[in-house]
Amino acid sequence: MPSSLSKLRALSAAILLLFTFALPAAAQLSFKPTAEAVQEDKLLNALKEGDKISGRISIPDTNAANLIQPAGRDWRDFHRSKLPIIGGVAIIGMFALLAIFLMVRGRIRVDHGFSGTKILRFASFERFTHWLTASCFVVLALSGLNISFGRTLILPLVGANAFSAMSTWAKYAHDFLAFPFMLGLIVMFLIWIKDNIPGKLDLQWIKQGGGILANGQHPPARRFNAGQKGIFWIVIIGGTLMSVSGWFLLFPYLPANVTTMQFWTVIHAVIAMLFIAAMLAHIYIGSVGMEGAFDAMGTGEVDLNWAKEHHSLWVAEEQAKGQAPSGTAPRAVPAE
Amino acid sequence: MKVFLAALVFAAIVAVGTSIVLSAIQMPSYVAFSTSGARVGDPGDNLVGSDWTTTII
Repeated sequence: MPSSLSKLRALSAAILLLFTFALPAAAQLSFKPTAEAVQEDKLLNALKEGDKISGRISIPDTNAANLIQPAGRDWRDFHRSKLPIIGGVAIIGMFALLAIFLMVRGRIRVDHGFSGTKILRFASFERFTHWLTASCFVVLALSGLNISFGRTLILPLVGANAFSAMSTWAKYAHDFLAFPFMLGLIVMFLIWIKDNIPGKLDLQWIKQGGGILANGQHPPARRFNAGQKGIFWIVIIGGTLMSVSGWFLLFPYLPANVTTMQFWTVIHAVIAMLFIAAMLAHIYIGSVGMEGAFDAMGTGEVDLNWAKEHHSLWVAEEQAKGQAPSGTAPRAVPAE
Repeated sequence: MKVFLAALVFAAIVAVGTSIVLSAIQMPSYVAFSTSGARVGDPGDNLVGSDWTTTII
């Protein structure tokens, strides 16, 4: 019994000692939740690039656990303020440049006139590949621009219902025409890579401004001159970047997390604007800008004089192989 | 012109074919991103219905 009593005393002393030392600590931990809780703006500002505030969820989509991702504000700001400027400068700027060029230089004519003799420039399969890729590109570009600018430019004009229907179909077209575009891109790369390797001749062509800045100057070129090679590599590199980034948008979270997704959407949008601007120049020089150029992708055959002026070495090679007419037919003179 | 039209038709065929294949092998988002207990039925084309601009009184 005395033993039990002494144990009880010891235990009581221990508890008393514990409270004596623990009370100041407890007093330090007491706080008013509303007064001392972290303010939301301070919390958001403290989060760094790539940081997230995540919760715990039980649904299959684990990405839904992300409650706040501050980098998303920068991404949204880019799409709302910076991207329209980049797109506007690139596309409207290119339209303006081409208009000025047309006014100053005028249409590039065939200096020696049309000979009336034709030479095969592009075979059917090459033209098929070109138009497959080009037609898809036009729809992809217009539907993509609708995503970026439609809400601002078209919605006020046509109203919510029409804009919704149009944008829905444009989105379907954008998603699924991406696949024949990618197919065309691959085939285009395979059939034209051998003629698009840059060489010393291209430097000479560039030094002379491609001969398009002044009448009567035509630097020698093989099947594709430096300008056309530039367009080829813009299409291949730009198209590849668009395809990879587009694939990540078609299949969300394929690359990684939401931050990576945002990075690829920025790549997709910026490259798209530059790509469209470059293709405007390509379309211009292949149609309005240069006399006789459209025939190359229209019928596949170009006038021999046109070919000699713009691709003199290629014509010589074709003639050596016996795949092109050797002479220039007399130019037709209209009766007076 | 024939080559151009052939390219357009081919592009349309590849696009439609891709949509059919992807529709067959992919789950709708309302299935992929939610458990069955959270679904009350097929939400249709969108979650707000065809008259989405109508003001709800």
